[in-house]
Amino acid sequence: MARILIADDASFMRQMIREIIEPEGHEIVGEATNGIEAVDLYKELSPDLVTMDIVMPKRSGIDAVKRILADHPTACIVMCSALGQESLVMEALQAGARDFIVKPFKPDSVIATLKKVLEKAD
Amino acid sequence: MPLDMAKYRRLFLEESAEHLGEIGHALLALEKELAAAEAIDTVFRMAHSIKSMAASLGFEGIAELAHRMEDRMEGVRRDGRVRGPEELALLFRALETLESMVATVADDREPAPADPALLVALGEASPAEGGASAAPAASRVDPPKKVRP
Repeated sequence: MARILIADDASFMRQMIREIIEPEGHEIVGEATNGIEAVDLYKELSPDLVTMDIVMPKRSGIDAVKRILADHPTACIVMCSALGQESLVMEALQAGARDFIVKPFKPDSVIATLKKVLEKAD
Repeated sequence: MPLDMAKYRRLFLEESAEHLGEIGHALLALEKELAAAEAIDTVFRMAHSIKSMAASLGFEGIAELAHRMEDRMEGVRRDGRVRGPEELALLFRALETLESMVATVADDREPAPADPALLVALGEASPAEGGASAAPAASRVDPPKKVRP
């Protein structure tokens, strides 16, 4: 099972992702509350996958994706998007994010997306 | 395993109260300086966060109003400033309505839909202050469909 870093400024969303992911046997190795923390924790923890919110303080999720991938080109990052963020999702995918999950989260969809991304990464 | 929605409802009330407080402070900062970048960014992010939480819990009225506010602030971010007192008053009105709707949830009642006139006003600019900031929700498209291999 995978070691996962959650990056989201909202505790509500971090807990919800954790509660969806952990029963699948994945380990949450860290939680970042802004884009700078996400980059720092990625370096420190080398997770198998990151769930990255797009709108975060200090450094946006997209900037964090670009920064992480510049140093770690094989990093596995899944964006967390919401209604109205279509262009930002496309920008993140073009920057190298592997896929995206959409808020409000549907647990089955989140699990299926992460499974697919992790299988491809193997 | 189903999610414990009562827990998330509590979290929503806690975080929304903080976010609405931050929006209030940011709007007061914008009252002094219409181009206060950090305040503009704060209102945008807090509205976005409230939208996502409310949508997760099925509070569609709150999610819709927060979404319109977020869209409006996206336009403000692009412009680099709030256009004037009328736009600021509109944002204060949106904040007060969100506060009222969240208070309804705290009282264990279902929030009513937001005032349609307010939603429309957030989706269009006042003639006195210039062009539109955001399109109405009906004209927007959903996030990209999951069709990639």
